[in-house]
Amino acid sequence: MIATPDANARWRRMFLILGGILVAYALLAPLTSLEAAQSANVPLLADRLWFRIATYIAMFIVLASAWNIIGGIAGYAAFGNVAFFGIGAYTTGMLIAKAKWPFLAALPLAPVVAAAFAAVVGLPLLRLRGHYFAVASLGVGVAVGELVQNIDYAGQPVFGGATGLFLPIYSIENRGLFFFYLMVLAAALAVAVTWLVLRSRFGYGLIAIRENEEAAAVIGVNTTAYKVAAFTLAAALTGLTGGIFSQWNVFINQDNTFPIEYNVQMILMALLGGTGTVFGPAAGAVLLQLLIQFLGGTLPISFEIPFVSENARPIVAQVILGVLLVVVVLFVPRGVIEFFGGRARFSLAYLRRSLRETSL
Amino acid sequence: MSATAAPQLELRSVTKRFGGVAAVDGVTFEVREGEIVGIIGPNGAGKTTLLNCISGIHRLDGGDIRWRGDSISGMPPHRIARLGIGRTFQIVRPFGSMTVRENAAVGALFGSADARRRPREAFELADHVLELVGLEAKARHPVSALTIPDRKRLEVARAVATRPRLLLLDEVMAGLNNVEIDAALEMVETVHATGVTVLLIEHVMRVIVGVCRRAIVLDFGQVLAEGEPESVLRDERVIQAYLGERYAKRRRTDPGRDGP
Repeated sequence: MIATPDANARWRRMFLILGGILVAYALLAPLTSLEAAQSANVPLLADRLWFRIATYIAMFIVLASAWNIIGGIAGYAAFGNVAFFGIGAYTTGMLIAKAKWPFLAALPLAPVVAAAFAAVVGLPLLRLRGHYFAVASLGVGVAVGELVQNIDYAGQPVFGGATGLFLPIYSIENRGLFFFYLMVLAAALAVAVTWLVLRSRFGYGLIAIRENEEAAAVIGVNTTAYKVAAFTLAAALTGLTGGIFSQWNVFINQDNTFPIEYNVQMILMALLGGTGTVFGPAAGAVLLQLLIQFLGGTLPISFEIPFVSENARPIVAQVILGVLLVVVVLFVPRGVIEFFGGRARFSLAYLRRSLRETSL
Repeated sequence: MSATAAPQLELRSVTKRFGGVAAVDGVTFEVREGEIVGIIGPNGAGKTTLLNCISGIHRLDGGDIRWRGDSISGMPPHRIARLGIGRTFQIVRPFGSMTVRENAAVGALFGSADARRRPREAFELADHVLELVGLEAKARHPVSALTIPDRKRLEVARAVATRPRLLLLDEVMAGLNNVEIDAALEMVETVHATGVTVLLIEHVMRVIVGVCRRAIVLDFGQVLAEGEPESVLRDERVIQAYLGERYAKRRRTDPGRDGP
């Protein structure tokens, strides 16, 4: 059965309406007070836990959208973007904790330092292609985290060492609400930047590089400059969220600012939603972050995995994520937005076709 | 532009080695503005390597390439493209996720100093170029829906959209049937008529004779012969290089047979 354009338009409209309602609810629900929500029996976003999860979702929208710029649009599978998150977090964290800067003055430096770092490592790294780039960028991601934890000066850890870094609590009424909206603002910025990129000469140049780098060069695309610019832009957005995270979480260390699993998660989110698209990574971030929390048992609506003890739960969650990665790559290489748009379905013929298209 | 001006493109002892093999070995020739020049030669003669040298994909191991009197040796490909040297690839390299129209528009978004438009104007130029190469009816199609001859047309369209002064065509007729070759010849002449110098690599002799005023024969990376296509194709050394010594000998003793 071939989906007609009409059917596609109907699906798209339904998605837009449904998505709009969900986004509106997610944005407005936190404004209602906890008590009011409980008495009205609407537990969702007014609940503290949900609230924290919603902030995380907004954070991952930025991470996935930023990865999409270098990985999805330019086609360079960066596996170490978490380095920019950590650098952003430590930039803001150090300025607040050690230099006693106010948060709002320290935050703008997070994207600046992360972007500067990306420009410096990007020049040599982006000369590599395919697997070599992926592995090298992963190396950078791991190395920066280790460096931050282990650099000592005169016997003292410079960046807080293994203990980590404690920030003074940001004194503002409704702190949770403030950081939620700050993160949502960053998410909106990331999506808007993606939208702008895809409509500009810059975006077309990046897509040309993804499709065929040599062909892009001979029509006049400065491939080196474009790749580094895309990498730097992704780093700036990722660093910005790192900066917000450091003050929101109050405590930062290697584990919570350089987690290797974030690398996999942000890529999986972009793949799940649709790489190279404006809203795909955001949609993927919402779906996957909810799933991760669900599998991790942190959601109020939880479940018991049969034959698995509570302790083994995180491991099982990782296994399920791994299986999901395989299924996504095989069946929805163009992302869920296209998949549910009616152009694809679970069939052997579709699997064969998508394998053929993605194995080129 | 006066006739006494420097040649548009000038190659002086251009050399490119891969390991111990000199794929292009001391090639010297020039192309004047407005010409259609053909480069022919047997497989492995270094034709594509030569184009890669001109468009900046390969760095030279020796010699110099000059564009309107200035050296372009060692320039990266995008800067050479911006000077006004466009090219196609023998194995077509379309941007697969884009439509036909978008492919051409990307050429107009970047390209030479004459192109480089904003997206809206780039799409207008793209429509114009697609009309020129005869792809306007398929502008909205995805590249995957194109036939081989159409993909070759698209390859030319994208290069033409960069508004080159010199267009390097790498075997755009290879793999086409006779009818398709006629259409492609017409396309090359249409593009040439817009004021673009054309340097083309071809295997199909009919193309060289039909469209080129001048032909350069490459063999083992060196220029074997140069001149009017008809006389070049009668050249003893050229026949030898193409068809082997035995055929050349037989032809000497039996001049009634057809040339290549």
